[in-house]
Amino acid sequence: MRGFHKPISSRQWGLSALLLVGAVALPFVASPFELRLAQQILLFGGLAVAWNLLGGFTTYWSFGHAAFFGLGAFAAGLLGQQLGPEVPVALRLVLGLLFAMAVTLAAAVAVALPVLRLRGIYFAIAMLAFAQILGEVSKTFDVFQGAIGFTLPILKVPGLAKVQLFYFLFLVFLMVCIGLFVVMRRSRLGVGLTCIGQDEDTAAMLGVPTERYKLTAFVISAVLTAVGGVLYSYSLGFMTADTVFRIDISLNLILYSMVGGIGTVAGPIIGAAIMILLTQVVLGDLLDLHMLVTGAVLVAMVTLAPKGLIGLVRDMRRRREETTVEEGAAS
Amino acid sequence: MTVLTIESLTKQFRGLRAIEDVTLTVERDSITSIVGPNGAGKSTLFNMVSGYLKPTSGRIEFDGHDITGMAPYRICRQGVARAFQISKPFPELSVQENVLVAASFGRAGERDAKATTTRAIDICHLTPLRDRRAGSLSIGNLRRLELARAIAARPILLLADEPCAGLNDAETRELTNVLSKIRDSGVTILLVEHDIKAVRRVSDRVVVLEAGRKIADGSATDVFSDQAVIDAYLGTAPA
Repeated sequence: MRGFHKPISSRQWGLSALLLVGAVALPFVASPFELRLAQQILLFGGLAVAWNLLGGFTTYWSFGHAAFFGLGAFAAGLLGQQLGPEVPVALRLVLGLLFAMAVTLAAAVAVALPVLRLRGIYFAIAMLAFAQILGEVSKTFDVFQGAIGFTLPILKVPGLAKVQLFYFLFLVFLMVCIGLFVVMRRSRLGVGLTCIGQDEDTAAMLGVPTERYKLTAFVISAVLTAVGGVLYSYSLGFMTADTVFRIDISLNLILYSMVGGIGTVAGPIIGAAIMILLTQVVLGDLLDLHMLVTGAVLVAMVTLAPKGLIGLVRDMRRRREETTVEEGAAS
Repeated sequence: MTVLTIESLTKQFRGLRAIEDVTLTVERDSITSIVGPNGAGKSTLFNMVSGYLKPTSGRIEFDGHDITGMAPYRICRQGVARAFQISKPFPELSVQENVLVAASFGRAGERDAKATTTRAIDICHLTPLRDRRAGSLSIGNLRRLELARAIAARPILLLADEPCAGLNDAETRELTNVLSKIRDSGVTILLVEHDIKAVRRVSDRVVVLEAGRKIADGSATDVFSDQAVIDAYLGTAPA
């Protein structure tokens, strides 16, 4: 929508292009361990951006996005079982993705209609419960095979190692999430959602179709998360209810967003990078400390920099500009 | 020409009749004020016109359409805007962006939004503050932002809920000037206000409610010299 956002500057385009070139070159120079870390940052950074499509704009914080992550993975897994062995893996993956998106779309609409009537913490709790219920259902009813799980065929592309291949798939996934976020933020939908985040009743009064906008954001966010679930499961080569319906996935998406800056595009990715490097490299040998450190970081961020690192930098920059203006006025 | 017709409107909350058989009309390009003691039913009336409450019985007709019991956003689209007493800006957006949201999502349509925004900001004397964050405004400025946002939706009828409450004399005077300018720009205003000086200054017509019933209706001079109104609301100077 015109008038709300400055056009993307050539500096921003340049920086993005540079980062992209770096990201594309990385798999040819990095070690497999480094590459696996980078994979996680791309995938979970992308998921955190997808979470922000709803939570970042509207402040409807879903504590149960693992529901869609798992739903997508199970949809793809169950479909894969129905396909005969003659269907090639790449086609299986594509069909699985499409089926997962369709199933998640339907499920997201069905869940959103009652759940989006709740606000704040009630919405968060309802989503948390939804994710737990899906996990239990997949384990309890044998048709879903949640407890045994599925083995997924290995996707091969000549010339690329598996770790490189999935690195690129996750990179594409992240870019799709970023693209959607940027386009949405600059659209009428994004402006309306931002207003909903600041004051939903006022937004409705000014003519923003709040119900329709919230539903749209919820569904897009859910479908993207499902795509992430399918890609993740294929990268593992197997899946059970316990690998996808994980509460730590739901919570980490929020954590990454909070560390980097909720409602920004770079924030969730920076947050994902920091937390993944911190827990897996710095504390790589101290596995018992992960949760402790994660908790400490969360508490520190909420009290010291509630708008995340990006918000912190912005505030500092604004303060510096204001003091310069005042000094200029004084002299 | 009549913009708003309210016909024997009644609202019952369990045992309480907040509004009882009220009939009134609002003429185009006028400022009609509704006054009355606390609990007279002024806000209930407003809430029914803007769609937040459904009337128990009676009819509300706006611009030739029956809007009784319609959803708030649809009434907004028909051309009724509301400025709240407790202004609720989008605090992280600038003054200009706040108004632009209203212009873009209201009846103006996105194409004319920029021009509508500039005009609304100008009418409400906010041009020097256009780039300020709405969260940092004083209460007087916030009230005018609330009005600017309301008229940026290009309404036919503006419902203004106690825009002068809590303002000092200078701010009140500026606000009544703004209200007159809004009327002169072609927006009909229905005003609820306790500040009798302000009401006298801007109103083309005054309606007095007491305990849910209409007790007077006419020009400010006539209404405020009516004995029933003095007894119910204004009171007499202590001897």
